[in-house]
Formats: sequence, C-alpha cells, structure tokens
Amino acid sequence: MSVRMVARRLGSKLLPRFAPAATLHSHATSFGFKEVNEEEKSQLVGNVFTKVASNYDIMNDLMSGGLHRLWKDRLVSKLSPFPGMKHLDVAGGTGDVAFRILETINSVNRRAKEDTREDDLQEETQIYVCDINPNMLNVGKKRAQERGLGDLGSLVWVEGDAEKLTFKDDSMDGYTIAFGIRNVTHIGKVLAEAYRVLKKGGRFLCLELSHVDTPVFKQLYDYYSFSVIPVVGELVAGDRDSYQYLVESVRRFPPQEVFASMIADAGFQKVEYENLVGGVVAIHSGLKI
Amino acid sequence: MHRSAAKRLLHSSFFYANQTSPIRTIAAPRFRFRFLASTTPEPNDFNTRTSSSSTLGDRPSHTSTTSTPRANYEEEQARVLAASLHHVIRLGWTEAAMIAGARDVRVSPSIVGAIPRKEAALVEYFMDECLQKLIDKIDSGELQLLDLVASERIAKLIKVRLQMQAPYISKWPQALSIQAQPSNISTSFKQRAMLVDEFWHASNDEGSGVDWYLKRTVVGGIYSTTEIYMLTDNSTDFEDTWIFLKERVRDAFDLKKTFQEVKYFAEAVGAGLGSSLQGFAKKS
Repeated sequence: MSVRMVARRLGSKLLPRFAPAATLHSHATSFGFKEVNEEEKSQLVGNVFTKVASNYDIMNDLMSGGLHRLWKDRLVSKLSPFPGMKHLDVAGGTGDVAFRILETINSVNRRAKEDTREDDLQEETQIYVCDINPNMLNVGKKRAQERGLGDLGSLVWVEGDAEKLTFKDDSMDGYTIAFGIRNVTHIGKVLAEAYRVLKKGGRFLCLELSHVDTPVFKQLYDYYSFSVIPVVGELVAGDRDSYQYLVESVRRFPPQEVFASMIADAGFQKVEYENLVGGVVAIHSGLKI
Repeated sequence: MHRSAAKRLLHSSFFYANQTSPIRTIAAPRFRFRFLASTTPEPNDFNTRTSSSSTLGDRPSHTSTTSTPRANYEEEQARVLAASLHHVIRLGWTEAAMIAGARDVRVSPSIVGAIPRKEAALVEYFMDECLQKLIDKIDSGELQLLDLVASERIAKLIKVRLQMQAPYISKWPQALSIQAQPSNISTSFKQRAMLVDEFWHASNDEGSGVDWYLKRTVVGGIYSTTEIYMLTDNSTDFEDTWIFLKERVRDAFDLKKTFQEVKYFAEAVGAGLGSSLQGFAKKS
C-alpha cells in the first residue's frame, strides 16, 4: 500500500477546483449521478442501507479484496486511542471502527505497559456508535455480541443524524466517520457538527473512498468500479442498483484537496490527508483547538 | 548576528522536527497563519504562554492576557509538551507522559495522536528548552565566563547544560535511545550541533576553516562522553562526572598544544634536514 501523504494548510483563499454540490441548484443534490431533491436524498440513502445492511460486511470484503480491514486499522492507529477516551463513530453502523478502537484500548499489550492509575480510566472509556439507519445498528449490536464486546458498558449504540447530533458541545475526544460522509446530504453541516461536539484538542478523522489521479491505475480502477462491482452486487446481494449508487457517489464526492479545504472551513486546524492505494481511499484528519 | 542566527535555527529546528515525516503541513509563517485561521474578520490575539521558552516564531513578542478562541495548534502542542515534562520522571519519555501532560493543561489527550513522532517530539522539545535556558543564562551573565580561561569556560558551559538534565537522569537513557533512532537522528544531530556551536560561541571562539569543524567535533565528543558517564554516576551531585569532564577538557587542550608542538618540531626537523641536504649537494 503506497502511502503518499500531502497536506496543506488551507484557508479561505483556496479556490475550489471542483465545486461539489455548490454548483447545483440550492435544493438539489446528487444521488450518485442522478440529481434529486435534498429531502429525497436521505430517504434514498436510507433505502440503500436498509437493503444492504445484512450483506454489508461480505460486500466490503469482496469489493476491496479484504483491504478495508487494513484501511480501518490504519484509521484507528492514526487516532491513537487512549483509556478514558470518549469517542464518537458516526455512520459506523456495523461497528468495525468502534470495535477496533475498543480492542486497541483494552489490548493486553497496552495494559502491560500501563500506569496503574489508568485502570480507573479504563472504566470511563465510552465509544458511541451513531448511525441514522437502525438496521445497520442492529447488525452492529449482533456483531458486538459475537466478538464478546456486547456486555461492556463502553459501547453505546445511538440512532441519530450526522447533520444534527444529539451530543453536547465539547464532549468528545475523537470523531471518526468511515465510508459515511459521501452519503450525507450536506457535508458542511456534518463537519460543523463534528467541530461542535469535539473537545479542545479533539481530532476529526475521515476515511473515505476518494479520487485516483495516476494515469493507468485510474482507468483500471474505473473499469473495476463500473463494470465489476455492480455485477458482484447483483450476484452476492441481489441488488445491482445499490452498488451502482455506491460507485457513482464515490465519483461525485469532492477530491482530496477540496474536501480538505471544507474541513478547514469548518474550523479545524492541522488539516492533512493521507492517500492509501494511490488515492482509492483517503484518510483526512483535522484538529480542533 | 551570530546569536540571532542561532536563535532562528533553534526555532526552525523545533518546527522542522515536527515535519520530518512525509506529511508536510505547509504552514504559513505565524502571523499570516493566524490571519488565515479565523473565518470571521476579527483579528487574532496572541495566546497566553505559560513558559518563555522555545515556541515558534516571534520569540521576543509579548503576550496579551486574553486567550483567543482560535489559538494556534502549535502553541497548544508546546503547552502540552511543557506540561508532559513533569510526568517524564515517573512515566518516561512516552505517550503516557504526553497524555498526562495534555490532561494537565485541560486539552484532550487526542492531541497527542496528532503530534508526529510522538516521543521524539517530546525529547526534541526538551533539548530545545535546555538550549534556550542555556542561552538565557549566558546572556544574563550569571555564569561569569569572562573571568575564566578558555578551557574552564567550556567545562563550565558543559556542566551547566548537563545539570539541566540531572532531574531526568533516571529516564535519560531512554531519551538517548529515542534520539538514536533512524527517523529521529537527523534532528537530534542538528540540535547537538547547535548546542556545541553555542558552547564555542560563548567562549568567544574565533576559529575558521578546518579548525572550526575540529573544535566542534572535539567538544561534541567531550559532551557526549560526559553525558553518558553521567548516566551511571551515583556520587552526590554528580561530583565524579564533573571531575571526568575537567579531565577530558584538559586532555583536549593539552592535545591541541601537543599538535602545535609536533608541528613546530616537524618544521624544525624539516629545516635542519633541508640545510644538511643542501650542504651535501654542494660538497658533491
């Protein structure tokens, strides 16, 4: 996995090279390559995820060749979780990122090196998993049970909207959103909410499918996205349209630099991004001070 | 001019230290950064600083007491690192110390995740702090260097600098091993080079050319060996270390005299040989 990291301190003087939803009519937004009303978009996305919820993890494995696990591992290692952390994972339905964070904090490796004082803090660790779709949350709860994390008080499943979180201001140490932000209707609102709930010193991390620029690889990736994935979706999940939506929404999402400037506009500092697999996936990070 | 150059290098080294990974946060110079940081038109004030030491940029600037809602993350980082030093004695140069430090200044410990090369950043911050304190001590004249001979001056400077490490001596081997790691070695080398430069500058060194490098290499060597000797010294107030230091400095200066004498001797021999050869050639 080639890690090519470029970062910019972006301010208001950055000119957006691609205008995302900004150029569309103010009450229209994109659902893949289709244009829809804003009210409709969350409905349509809701339908997609209700349908895919049960096969979500298998499809992830098939589409990324198992790489999504490594990407999520990388996300969590960048986060550097610590005992006593209050963390919010948004659009984290099936719980992948939340489980990893909890396991990192509780790992034997870490506990061996720990200060005895931190044992008390261990109790205070809270990972909130927020998702707008109750089906995804149910799948997540089941998986938590299977992994043995179900009865720990540390995992809290919350149904909620990323654009209007029910958490208090300055209450979270960390905020992650993995493969969720391209599905929201208003990216700016989500970023603003993220900024609101984070404490001073809190970090925002976003893992998302992004844009590939390298010439040959780009063609291969496009072919794979548009020709292979919907077919696999049809065969495995019996649902071609949802996966067609998925690959289209990736193309519609702003490229790395533009998204980074949006994060900076929300008030975050030290905005950086790291490309994984040549840009197929990017991890954006920001700090609230 | 020399001093301000050292100061500028000092600040850029701390700044640079956080940039040696491939992630480059291309930050504008501080005042411009602050100007861009706010999306609202009000001007940014300086943040309150808890210590007078190596924060980036405008060192001589004075702080206002109002804290701005858009404080610079680098300042916060410096505050966290400063607070972390109190925990190093107990927890070592580790992430745990930095997390405890962040809690002390009431910043979320998540900020530690954003610091590149975490433990190394802490060690480098400490090295910069010590250099700054040393410069301040020299400037304030409390060391009374002018009364001393060159060799005594060097010895005193090294002693003063090493005494700053004395509280952390139990964890200093860890710091040395962190500095020796491949990703950190370039920064630590630069910091030590600046330190040795400062020693010579304070001793009013006027060397040039090869001499300049030679002097710095020799004093760098004395400093490093004394530092390592100090790690296993159990005498009260590190008495044995200072004796060791004096010996090494004396050896170095003696060696210099020896080299000079050898040079004169060689010249004399060469002159003598040359004239006897000439005489021989003339005869035949």
